[in-house]
Amino acid sequence: MPHTQSDPYLPQPARILRVIGENSQIKTFVLAFTDPAVNASFRYQPGQFLMVSVPHCGEAPISISSAQQATPGEIHLSVRRAGKLTSAMHLLAEGAIIALRGPYGRFFPMSDLCGKNLLFVGGGIGLAPLRAVIQSCLADRGRFGAITILYGSRTPSDIAFRADLACWEQEAGVQCLLTVDTPEPGWSGAVGVVPKLLDQVALDPAASKALVCGPPLMIKFTLAALSAKGFADQDIITTLERHMKCGVGLCRHCHLDNKLVCVDGPVFTKAELNTLHVMELA
Amino acid sequence: MAGLATTFGSGAMTNSINEIEQAQVILAVGTNTTEAHPQVARRMLDAVDRGAKLIVIDPRRTRLAECATLHLAIRPGSDIALLNGMMRIILDENLHDDLFIEMRTENFLALRDMLYRVDLAEVEVETGVPRDRIASAARLYARAQKAVICYCLGITQHICGTDNVQSIANLAMLTGHVEKEWTGVDPLRGQNNVQGACDMGALPSVYPSYQPVADPTFRRKFEQAWGVTLPEQPGLTLLDMTHSGGQGAIRGMYIMGENPMLSDPDATKVEATLRGLDFLAVSDLFLTETAQLAHVVFPAASFAEKTGTVTNSERRVQLIRQVIPPLGETWPDSDTIMALAARLGYPMPYESQAEVMEEIALLTPIYSGIFHDRLETGWGLQWPCWGREHPGTPFLHKYYFTRGKGHFVPAQPIPASELPDDDFPLLLNTGRVYHQYHTGTMSRQCPTLTREADRALLQLNPADAKGLAIRQGEMVRLTSRRGSIELAASLTEEVTAGSVYTTFHFHEAPINRLTTAAADPKAKCPEYKICAVRVEKVSP
Amino acid sequence: MSSSHILKKDHLIPLLRKLGKAYRLVAPMQNRHGDTLFAEVASVETMALDLDHQPQESLKPFLFPQQEVIAAYEADQAGYALHPRYAAPPPTLYFGVRSCDLAAILYMDVIFSQRTREPHYLGRRHNTVLVGLNCNAPFPNCFCDATKNGPFSELGADLQLTDLGDRFLVTAGRAQGETIVSRWPQFFSAAEEAEIKKQYQLYLEARGGFQRQVHVDLAIRRLAEGMVDEAVWQQLSLRCQDCAGCAYVCPTCTCFTIVDQPRSATSGERLRCWDACTFAGFTRMAGGHNPVEPKKAAIKHRFLHKLKYDVEKHGRPSCVGCGRCLDICFGGTDIARFVELASEE
Repeated sequence: MPHTQSDPYLPQPARILRVIGENSQIKTFVLAFTDPAVNASFRYQPGQFLMVSVPHCGEAPISISSAQQATPGEIHLSVRRAGKLTSAMHLLAEGAIIALRGPYGRFFPMSDLCGKNLLFVGGGIGLAPLRAVIQSCLADRGRFGAITILYGSRTPSDIAFRADLACWEQEAGVQCLLTVDTPEPGWSGAVGVVPKLLDQVALDPAASKALVCGPPLMIKFTLAALSAKGFADQDIITTLERHMKCGVGLCRHCHLDNKLVCVDGPVFTKAELNTLHVMELA
Repeated sequence: MAGLATTFGSGAMTNSINEIEQAQVILAVGTNTTEAHPQVARRMLDAVDRGAKLIVIDPRRTRLAECATLHLAIRPGSDIALLNGMMRIILDENLHDDLFIEMRTENFLALRDMLYRVDLAEVEVETGVPRDRIASAARLYARAQKAVICYCLGITQHICGTDNVQSIANLAMLTGHVEKEWTGVDPLRGQNNVQGACDMGALPSVYPSYQPVADPTFRRKFEQAWGVTLPEQPGLTLLDMTHSGGQGAIRGMYIMGENPMLSDPDATKVEATLRGLDFLAVSDLFLTETAQLAHVVFPAASFAEKTGTVTNSERRVQLIRQVIPPLGETWPDSDTIMALAARLGYPMPYESQAEVMEEIALLTPIYSGIFHDRLETGWGLQWPCWGREHPGTPFLHKYYFTRGKGHFVPAQPIPASELPDDDFPLLLNTGRVYHQYHTGTMSRQCPTLTREADRALLQLNPADAKGLAIRQGEMVRLTSRRGSIELAASLTEEVTAGSVYTTFHFHEAPINRLTTAAADPKAKCPEYKICAVRVEKVSP
Repeated sequence: MSSSHILKKDHLIPLLRKLGKAYRLVAPMQNRHGDTLFAEVASVETMALDLDHQPQESLKPFLFPQQEVIAAYEADQAGYALHPRYAAPPPTLYFGVRSCDLAAILYMDVIFSQRTREPHYLGRRHNTVLVGLNCNAPFPNCFCDATKNGPFSELGADLQLTDLGDRFLVTAGRAQGETIVSRWPQFFSAAEEAEIKKQYQLYLEARGGFQRQVHVDLAIRRLAEGMVDEAVWQQLSLRCQDCAGCAYVCPTCTCFTIVDQPRSATSGERLRCWDACTFAGFTRMAGGHNPVEPKKAAIKHRFLHKLKYDVEKHGRPSCVGCGRCLDICFGGTDIARFVELASEE
């Protein structure tokens, strides 16, 4: 078989080392390939995703929520329960085996971020890919300017990544601001949509890059708000979620005009998105 | 069935499906044609492309309604009022066909007298359709030279189903829109071979070819052919069999290729009936909800694994040929029936399906010229086909109606068996989606079809949803006097305020636990299209 | 440089018999219901070869099957293992392939090797010999003149046949073709100039034989200029009946899905199946969001992909003018209908 060596569809088994319950809908799975050699040679960048196989459920694309430098030998996947595969995955415990292939996709332009102040704006599960960037920046703190993290959730009990947020706040030059759509008794933080938090932080758009990920409507309003604050389109970077089957530019489920999100994305600047017909900007 | 039988004398499409393409006006009543009969819808839309006018009468704004020249969004169950209103306008404006009425019909005066008592202002209120739109529809239809009416289960699955059909027949006869090519009344059948099943006497009161059981001449003919003594009385209707609650006279049942646990109304009662039987046998391709209750299940072969015929809506008998041998332990239904009959002491040693067809031709006048060898080439034969040399019949009632003269049967509006009230303020309508077939026994096995329609959705008008604080996609509880199910809400203007709509494909949301077993007294077709319900949020 | 030979029609079956011994032979044949389809030749003796009708399907199902197992898996307490599966077809000779289907294979060659080398398609393609047949008389729904890949074409074929009446002019376009001519030289004689001239005459006549005018170039230009009215997509989406027949018969539609088919509680197969971009579920995400507005934007994408994006990327449209979507579409939303609507000022 001439092509067996490079079967693009063939995933590798990986073991769930730990499961972190982020909220009632989101769990972070800490994984390592069962084959130590595969695990040792596996390389990825923030913003890339994996095709995840769960027995009998097929595959789904899930972005990696950790940075290689921050979690050596481990891969974090933060998964929101949405469909058949993710629901099945939520039932899995430590020790269970799934399968992964990748990494796929264009990643966040880390070298462009060097020397810049970084503004991260996340909503719900959208913090997952940004978490990978944040971890990567914190692992090499000196190369980046001030870091501001704005994070929106539906309610206070929906706030995910609490442990991460608590850690990041402790770091020098890192500011975290949270907001919720609907408050609960005991909540003293901000109430309202994420873009409103932009008014509460000092911004220097010319020296900054903004990285945004969240539900479609949140992306739409955040991108508009950032532009209003003076961010240039090429300094606003987001990552898109799409239905995917192959991850390698063949099956076409993730088509976006003349692009395929799996290979041309999922990371795009607003300047790039402006030329496309994107649900998130419509 | 019964409605066209009394008026025309034959309960089937009077036209061929292809003829719809040449009509100048198409009146589509109670048919979601693009989803349920896409090949018929194609002809309708082709006709529209050629300049034909399409009038759609449907409470919902279906895709066909989007394509229509005129969409009359009537209140569910007000078809008779609307049709009577149209006929009154036709009469008032002298658009009726005097000569046709004189030459080809009888009992016109009874219809006329009834129509003169119709109050158009009341019709407007009852149907919710403005008078000028009713008038436009009436004029368009009456003035056409070639006009067809297509109707489907939105007409028949009502307590007044037979009266609905008779009103349609009245309208067609009043304007002379029958007995011609490209012109007629076309009931679209609910399933691929339901016409064939009816033709073969799978009805309680008739033998094949609609020969009445109660008539001793016909009974004798079948007694001779089959060498048995036959009952003198008609059998029970489906609802009489499935809704006895387990206490009925029927103690054993053999169900073939049907899943009444999901498809019959008031399904909780169906379950009680089936569980109360002494013996239940089921033949099906898969272990359906009904088969799970059976004492014996016969694994059945699929269409690709057997030979036989199907008769479609346009009375076309077509041969389907075996492509692969039956898989696993499955048998073609005919083999199962023959083996059962043999065990019961009545051997039926047919050598082939062609031999069965020969017996059909012998005993079934409308099929008397249909044999397998004639079906081998071409596209089948349309009944009536009176002999080997007969070419079949593309459209019915040429020269005279099957029953002699067309018979006007005036019909008055009949209220639905259950109307919304304070406890159950919404009106539930049920139907199908394009990507699933019936109870999903087969279509839900296909991943792509299942992806396209993987769960029941309750169509709800945004205005009603707002009042109930229900969001798009949220799970809601739907309750009627008979039962309660949970399903996801789909907010859409496709349904009018006050109405909700869903499908019966999904066992996770068995809608027929809610529907009523109230049925048309003549045809015994249940009122799937109307019952009163309420909608609530599942999570507070 | 291609070489030209003559094969007398009397010798076609004897040649096929020889070829059938060296290769698995696939040719257009009429089945007992009168349908012409490419099928594996079980016996040259009894084959119902049909070179007079267009095969209802292209060669796509052979090179890129509607459904194929790409892996088998076992999953239990002990682990989860996936094993790749590859079909290993013997060397196959496809006979009687029209220029549209040849163009489509060249397109698939690019799609399945450019960004990612797709092992299943390439594994099948690797072992393939293509014997083409020029179309002297285009079929009723064909418009390959408008897509500029027919009715005569040498591209992609190892051997290309032109029907000259009692004989075929045979052009060897690729090494495999030369191999066949030199391995069975007894069947071939040198073509004379008159015969080559006759081929050109037939080509001219064939170009004039199209019954349909489909202004593909005009539609391409109007799409490139953004001149196609939104109402066109609206009309097409209202009429599309969502059967996906167009994508299934299209020789260049290569969208697919991957699903797991459990065979037991602890094992199953991973299947790759054809899919269609016009389905709402093609793009709908697990949470319910659909980035492509069902119907209208989906059908728009289908035509933009074929007539705009592929033109930008590959320099030519990925419609090859075979007309099969016109045969199968019962909603009136085939590509010819689109081109007609798009060309209206």
